[in-house]
Amino acid sequence: MKAVIFNGAKKGDLTINSIETALTDQLVEHGWEVEPIELRNMQIAACLGCFGCWVKTPGTCVINDDGRETTRKAIQSDLMVWLTPVTFGGYSSDLKKALDRIIPILLPYFESYHGQIHHKMRYKKYPKLLVIGVQEPGVDYAETFTALAERNRLNLRPSAYAASVFQRSKNPETIPAFVEEQLKKAEVIS
Amino acid sequence: MSQPRNVLLLVGSPRCERSNSHVVGKFLVDKLEEKGLVSEEACAIRLVSTRENAEKLWSFVDNADVIVLATPLYVDSFPSPTVKALELIHEHRKAVSPTKSQLLVAIMNSGFPEKEHMDIALKIIRNFAQASNFKWGGGIRVGWGESLNSEPLNEKKGMTRKLTRGLSLASVNLSEGQPISEEAENLASALFVPLFLAKTIIRLVVNPGWNKQAKDNNAKAKMHDRPYAHGS
Repeated sequence: MKAVIFNGAKKGDLTINSIETALTDQLVEHGWEVEPIELRNMQIAACLGCFGCWVKTPGTCVINDDGRETTRKAIQSDLMVWLTPVTFGGYSSDLKKALDRIIPILLPYFESYHGQIHHKMRYKKYPKLLVIGVQEPGVDYAETFTALAERNRLNLRPSAYAASVFQRSKNPETIPAFVEEQLKKAEVIS
Repeated sequence: MSQPRNVLLLVGSPRCERSNSHVVGKFLVDKLEEKGLVSEEACAIRLVSTRENAEKLWSFVDNADVIVLATPLYVDSFPSPTVKALELIHEHRKAVSPTKSQLLVAIMNSGFPEKEHMDIALKIIRNFAQASNFKWGGGIRVGWGESLNSEPLNEKKGMTRKLTRGLSLASVNLSEGQPISEEAENLASALFVPLFLAKTIIRLVVNPGWNKQAKDNNAKAKMHDRPYAHGS
């Protein structure tokens, strides 16, 4: 079983790096192969909104950079983890640049799903999805953050899913237990 | 807030002037110009890559009394350069502690017909506004934005009548330094046809349209390809 971790943190974010380490340790302990990707170090251009990945080179972005690789790794994994500082309730720009580029894993065609129009799925199977945000003290964007992840779940239809926020002010020693709880919620471990 | 003098149109789409976001934002800004405001235009993707560009972005924002952020919906939020622009603006405003009152208005547009797809993205922009000391000027949600076809909005055309009326109303509020009214928000955010009809048209007309575009690019046979399936 393969897991890919999209780390959208800035350099030197100790909390997010500790969460990444705890995730890696626990997944490896359960027999998973884990690949963390520090997105800030990847050459991923912004999605141009050209729809070329749907109507010119279906399934592959027209931009030939690391964005193609991150997309390939995402769809070939059994678990995709998104790690990010909570940014006004959303994801960091580093995580977002990778996510904007994964739309070729969907088809352009529209269909009704859960009462709303969504894109049809390109692949037969999609990885489980775990979304973890780290929130600064003094703000409370957890509801917006988990609602955003829930919208992503509707559009990407992972086989299992969990999303949660870790408060940066919390004792770092609680990180392993937090991570274990999230992996259970995402049905990765029992 | 006193009478605003300057308005900035900040376009969040990487397609900049060729985008539907620009089309909608430009209509509102033109209406504000008619009311005496001076406008500037900037595109997020051009202002986030270097420190020098970021300083230009900050200067645009500092000069404006009203900022209209017009952006498409990408993966349930807005494009990464727009996220980056918000991060940079927030960082700048923390450092300089702005004193003048500035209104931030958001215009979202999405290819999906339901407005609800854009609710979370708007909430994120509103959170940003609050965290960065802007006065919230309101949010407009333009569903089925692709139907605008990147053409200038026409007040007389049935398809864009509600949208243009809503934006015109919004311009009256903003020119007086007030957030846009609920009436303007609702009118500008209304679809030009009933939702059930929009959904039917999308399934019957827009879906075959993708095939037509693929055919024009000699890619129709590959439309359902799975290049990253295991073993590929």
